[in-house]
Amino acid sequence: MKMENMSLSGLDNTKLEALAQDIYSDLVEDACLGLCFEVHRAVKQGYFFLDDTDQESMKDFEIVDQPGVDIFGQVYNQWKNKECVCPNCNRSIAASRFAPHLEKCLGMGRNSSRIANRRIASSNNTNNKSESDQEDNDDVNDNDWSYGSEKKAKKRKSDKNPNSPRRSKSLKHKNGELSSSVNTDPYKYNYNTGINYETLGPDELRSLLTTQCGVISEHTKKMCTRSQRCPQHTDQQRRAVRVFLLGLSATSLPDSNTAVESDGYDASDGQVLMSRLQWDGSSDISPSDSASSKASTNNSDSKKPKKKKKTSLNSTGGGGGGSGSVGGSSSQGCLAGQANRKKPKLPVPPAPSIYDNLN
Amino acid sequence: CNGAWLQRKQHTLQPTYYVMSLYPQIMFCFGRARRSSRCGSPAGCSHVNAYKVDNWRPNLRVIYQCFVWSGSAETRRRKAKSCICHMCGAHLNRLHSCLYCVFFGCFTKKHIHEHAKNKRHNLAIDLLYGGIYCFVCQDYIYDKDMEQIAKEEQRKAWKLQGVGEKYSTWEPTKRELDLLRHNPKRRKMTTNCTIGLRGLINLGNTCFMNCIVQALTHTPLLRDFFLSDRHKCEMQSNSCLVCEMSQLFQEFYSGHRSPHIPFRLLHLVWTHARHLAGYEQQDAHEFLIAALDVLHRHCKGDTTNDNGKKANNPNHCNCIIDQIFTGGLQSDVTCQVCHGVSTTIDPFWDISLDLPGSSTPFWPLSPGGDGGTVNGESHLSGATTLTDCLRRFTRPEHLGSSAKIKCGGCHSYQESTKQLTMKKLPIVACFHLKRFEHSAKLRRKITTYVSFPLELDMTPFMASRWASTNYLPPGLYVLVRYALFAVVNHQGTLESGHYTSFIRQHKDQWFKCDDAIITKASIKDVLDSEGYLLFYHKQFLEYE
Repeated sequence: MKMENMSLSGLDNTKLEALAQDIYSDLVEDACLGLCFEVHRAVKQGYFFLDDTDQESMKDFEIVDQPGVDIFGQVYNQWKNKECVCPNCNRSIAASRFAPHLEKCLGMGRNSSRIANRRIASSNNTNNKSESDQEDNDDVNDNDWSYGSEKKAKKRKSDKNPNSPRRSKSLKHKNGELSSSVNTDPYKYNYNTGINYETLGPDELRSLLTTQCGVISEHTKKMCTRSQRCPQHTDQQRRAVRVFLLGLSATSLPDSNTAVESDGYDASDGQVLMSRLQWDGSSDISPSDSASSKASTNNSDSKKPKKKKKTSLNSTGGGGGGSGSVGGSSSQGCLAGQANRKKPKLPVPPAPSIYDNLN
Repeated sequence: CNGAWLQRKQHTLQPTYYVMSLYPQIMFCFGRARRSSRCGSPAGCSHVNAYKVDNWRPNLRVIYQCFVWSGSAETRRRKAKSCICHMCGAHLNRLHSCLYCVFFGCFTKKHIHEHAKNKRHNLAIDLLYGGIYCFVCQDYIYDKDMEQIAKEEQRKAWKLQGVGEKYSTWEPTKRELDLLRHNPKRRKMTTNCTIGLRGLINLGNTCFMNCIVQALTHTPLLRDFFLSDRHKCEMQSNSCLVCEMSQLFQEFYSGHRSPHIPFRLLHLVWTHARHLAGYEQQDAHEFLIAALDVLHRHCKGDTTNDNGKKANNPNHCNCIIDQIFTGGLQSDVTCQVCHGVSTTIDPFWDISLDLPGSSTPFWPLSPGGDGGTVNGESHLSGATTLTDCLRRFTRPEHLGSSAKIKCGGCHSYQESTKQLTMKKLPIVACFHLKRFEHSAKLRRKITTYVSFPLELDMTPFMASRWASTNYLPPGLYVLVRYALFAVVNHQGTLESGHYTSFIRQHKDQWFKCDDAIITKASIKDVLDSEGYLLFYHKQFLEYE
């Protein structure tokens, strides 16, 4: 085995063959040894186990290849009711109609300038010039201004409430789910629709009536969706409808600042947000979008909104909002806070990290 | 975890146990190592502390340079001559060198063990792979400081040998190991696994966007970039599209089955690319270019290269988008009189190819003809191929007397020919078949079938072919091979239609993505489809 210099000439074929075979098997052995070392090191350093997976749960991810279902085994076309929150106006929109909504919302469609002009024209009827100062580029008014100032004023006060969880910006944003930094900007006002009170449960009605006029129209039999200062109806009418619908405890009109405690972000879907926006805090909400009105009536079965309403209702009787804001004079007091309104806040995305969803 | 790494380990598992049985000593150590790692004891041992005194680092370096990783031919010769077992003269049998004195002993015959016992020198180094063996622990140990030196010396040797950088697999840090241990449920991307696939809700004629998203999320390099968290955001506002892309990858690889709603993506793209916004039906190709542009602009935080310099020049950015998608298109204008060539190189993200059936004539490909061609329409039997389109794209084009170029050599306007070739091939090449004709006379969709291959060789279209001094060495042939991984198709008319896409998850495993519906597809489905955007990925990557 001692190493020595050897000349290859003069060796016959068999010897050469044997030499080549020797060299070859040495190389193979060395390669195998290398592999052993790799594994040995992996085990010693502790990363050899990374190969292990949970066999059971991996079965859930097997590809399905059957007609009529997708690779997850789901039937086609069951995704009609998906919703999402517009990052611009923070309204909940049906996902399949998000693109046309966004186009108008960002003021980019063919009709947007026409709509905008109409808004500006009707807004000149009220004194809310301060509003236009706070527009940033994306916030084109898709909104009706006729009752804007009062509604905004009320909401602003509730927004300033330090207890309101809405002020929390640290909540995660997830696709299609709720963001807590809800800006309750006035929505596009639709004169045509109202709410059919017969389809709503008592809790919903109570909640609704904290923020809306609610007077039942004789013609349509629907509740008025304007604010509680709606000029078309009198306070007396509003009181009457509350007695009619809720019984005797609702003697005074509750303040519209019942702030929603959004408990951030539970794994709820867009419908829950819809319900919160509808009933709490946004005093001039109207089911402007027919899609969202459909969504709202579907909420009666959802558990979470009911929880919210209950907590906010506890203090309703006394005329204060759920968050403890002062009634009555709130609208005056809030005007100072106008400056921060109307900025659509994009929900803060979490810093992407592979550790986020580790189970 | 690095999915690719996991794949590799899976394949090596079976043969590992077989091979290990050939080396009973290592099997023993393996068992011991496995036990000890479960107990959480470190991979090093305390016995090295006796060694790590005084001048141990340079000493160890010398040992590695001379006896383990010999870089130059001279050191290799010296190693071959002098590294033999002092007891039996063998130069194989897993020769080890004592770390405390100049002694070589083979492992197989336990000569090194004897030495260790006699001299109480309890550390030795394996001359083949550089592992450190501790005779007290009776196992190979991995000490961080010593391994550091080993790695450096190995790199130096590779450089000297002309090998350059070699790929080394990912190793988790201690913290990562802890996290992984506490979270044992791991998703492995096997071939029968849905992880990485997810439907996308159509937000109102946004199928054009959905297809591009599917293509991007299945671009392997892009996926690896985002899944390993490489994006460091420097934008103050919340409107970083790269962050949104990162989030998108999280969604796709989360294992969720319900389709994702890409409303935030749409909002961000429309905000940053105003010219795109609008609810009319849109072009997927246009969206791709706009999205890449915004991503490229938002990638500022990631544009440091190895030297730590920030390359913020918009033309020479080093962001991931540029690294993956940007190629260089060389344009050579040759003066017909003096034959002087004026060359410019422009960056490109995609190649738009004319098709037969459009108002500009497709055939013949070159002025001299293409082997028996006649002026006029398609003359070849069989379908037009992608290669035909590429050959046409890179043909020398006579610019005509109405388009004379000022020649620097002749100092006057002369007729010239122009030719486009690929100077720098991108890692992902996107081919856009120009099916939508918007000429002054008509607007229509060209539905000519173009056949495209699963694998594409880009050599004929490269600039080097036309440069007389450059040629493509045979060994580099592999570097121009591309593999198809995504196809975007359009069905319908110019006014109204629907986009769907095919994407490849693993080799030869394709899926059809129709908004929210993902189904398995065959290779035949893919290759028979009309083809509008074709995405090819380089098969082999080289280090810069």
